[in-house]
Amino acid sequence: MMRRILFNLSVWSAVLIVAFPLFWMVVTSLKPQVELWARPPALLPLEPTLEHYLTLLRDTSFLVYFRNSVLLSTATTLLVIGVAALGAYSLVRFRYRGRESLAMLVLFTYLLPSVILILPLYLMMVKLGLANTLVSLVLAYTTFALPYALWLLRSFMAGIPEDLESAALVDGATRLGAFRDVILPQLLPGIISTALFTFILSWNEYLFALVLVNSDATRPLTTGVMNMLISSFNIEWSMLMAASVMMSLPLIIAFSLLQKYLTRGFGAGAVKG
Amino acid sequence: MMAAMSTGGGEPGSQAESRTSRSPQAMLERRYARLGLLLIAPSIVVFSAVIIYPLLAAIYLSLFELYTPTLEGGFVGLSNYRELLARGEFWVSLRNTLVWTAGTLSLQIVFGIGMALMLHQNVWFRSLARSLILFPYFVSTVVAVLVWRWLFNDLYGILNHLLVEARLIDMPIDYLGAMPNAMISIILVGAWKYFPFVVIAVLARLQTIPDVLYEAARIDGAGPIARFFDVTLPQLREVLLVIVLLRAIWDFKEFDLIFLLTGGGPVISTQTLSLLVYKEAFALNQMGMGAAYGVVMMAIMLVFMIFYIRQARKGDSS
Repeated sequence: MMRRILFNLSVWSAVLIVAFPLFWMVVTSLKPQVELWARPPALLPLEPTLEHYLTLLRDTSFLVYFRNSVLLSTATTLLVIGVAALGAYSLVRFRYRGRESLAMLVLFTYLLPSVILILPLYLMMVKLGLANTLVSLVLAYTTFALPYALWLLRSFMAGIPEDLESAALVDGATRLGAFRDVILPQLLPGIISTALFTFILSWNEYLFALVLVNSDATRPLTTGVMNMLISSFNIEWSMLMAASVMMSLPLIIAFSLLQKYLTRGFGAGAVKG
Repeated sequence: MMAAMSTGGGEPGSQAESRTSRSPQAMLERRYARLGLLLIAPSIVVFSAVIIYPLLAAIYLSLFELYTPTLEGGFVGLSNYRELLARGEFWVSLRNTLVWTAGTLSLQIVFGIGMALMLHQNVWFRSLARSLILFPYFVSTVVAVLVWRWLFNDLYGILNHLLVEARLIDMPIDYLGAMPNAMISIILVGAWKYFPFVVIAVLARLQTIPDVLYEAARIDGAGPIARFFDVTLPQLREVLLVIVLLRAIWDFKEFDLIFLLTGGGPVISTQTLSLLVYKEAFALNQMGMGAAYGVVMMAIMLVFMIFYIRQARKGDSS
């Protein structure tokens, strides 16, 4: 019994150490400015305040960045899921020459460093007149989102029993009819979790946004918030922590939705390879 | 009819069959193959436009001397490569990349396995513990960096405060502005951010190890440590290989975390190859030279990538 308690305590202290930075982020965002400089720092805010959140929403471009991030991540997710669902169906359930090589190409591109792709992509966007637009970011984001979604959906697709589709075909359905009526409903959990993961990836992206977009009107949250740190004269840590909390909110929501798919998505997409 | 229906399946003979016969099944097979290509076509188009073309263009660019803002310059052949191999900065960045990758990767693996073993046990509020552990992995690098820069703050950061209180240090530490602190700091933050990936992957594998193996070991008189080395570790071998390869590739090319924490500094002490590519192309405006660095960097990564893809292929066919 004693050993069990000790074990639990040590596990939980390890967990709390890992989670501490995030706890500290929330605490700092709620502290009034004076408490920030107090020695020793209080573990919880003595007089919790939402003033930093209000300043953030009222006096900065945070809401513009937020809107841009929402638009950007949603557009990327929709585009990528649409293309990848068809592609994954093709890669798993059809036979043609080069199919295996295509699958391996997808995996290969998934591992490519963005820092190399960004150079020609930047030139391409300038040439197309798309520099500094959200469209250029959506296009750039497909470089990592599409291989990711294709690979993930491919393994979800492989998990759907083939008999279902065969039965529909015997009943006279066409392949695309069977895809719509049989495969899609079965694939739905896979599509949802792939969509959430893709959304998170896009939401968190930094490098492409740094290179391709440089005006406040088109900046997403990552570069926008980072810009607040760099451009401010004296750094307002509580406001930056408030921004960090707000920026993580959609993740927390996605996270709680993901709970049951989490392990599966991970296992299917990244680990099983 | 059955042969036609298993088009997507695994019948190895069906393809050869379709080539020789002109039966209705064979025609259906060909129609299906065409439909299959049609369905993958959008993916191929997007891939070609945003991945394959840029990849080839990057190699092409590396043969030019180009000024980024105006794109003026000319063909210089392989001289960018000759120059970069002669530059000390390239070798320093390569060494930094290897130190960073080796350091952060080994910490991720050790902490990841340790935490996975703990969370595999029956712990109070296990699912809450798991969610808390996963959070660093999902949070944006920007958020992670902001939080850590606040923790690292020399005057008001809690880390310095706690260490001074505990009498472990006399003076506040400069975590990011001096060496070797800066390298140690990015390695630690990298480990914190990415070890949950190892936890998840190992945890998933642990759940599939049959209990019989442990019981058998117990009957043979193996203690917990012996059971770990004789049962758990051999069972984890395959998944660990995949994890190490994947994480090695990802850590090797990491940009955001290092760029935002130290920017490569002090001077170039934590500048990795990714940062060097970015700096050359967009800060020094030498697009061609940047591309050359990128190509060399990818050539090094290719070793890991090919190894990983071969491993994945094995797993795929089994």
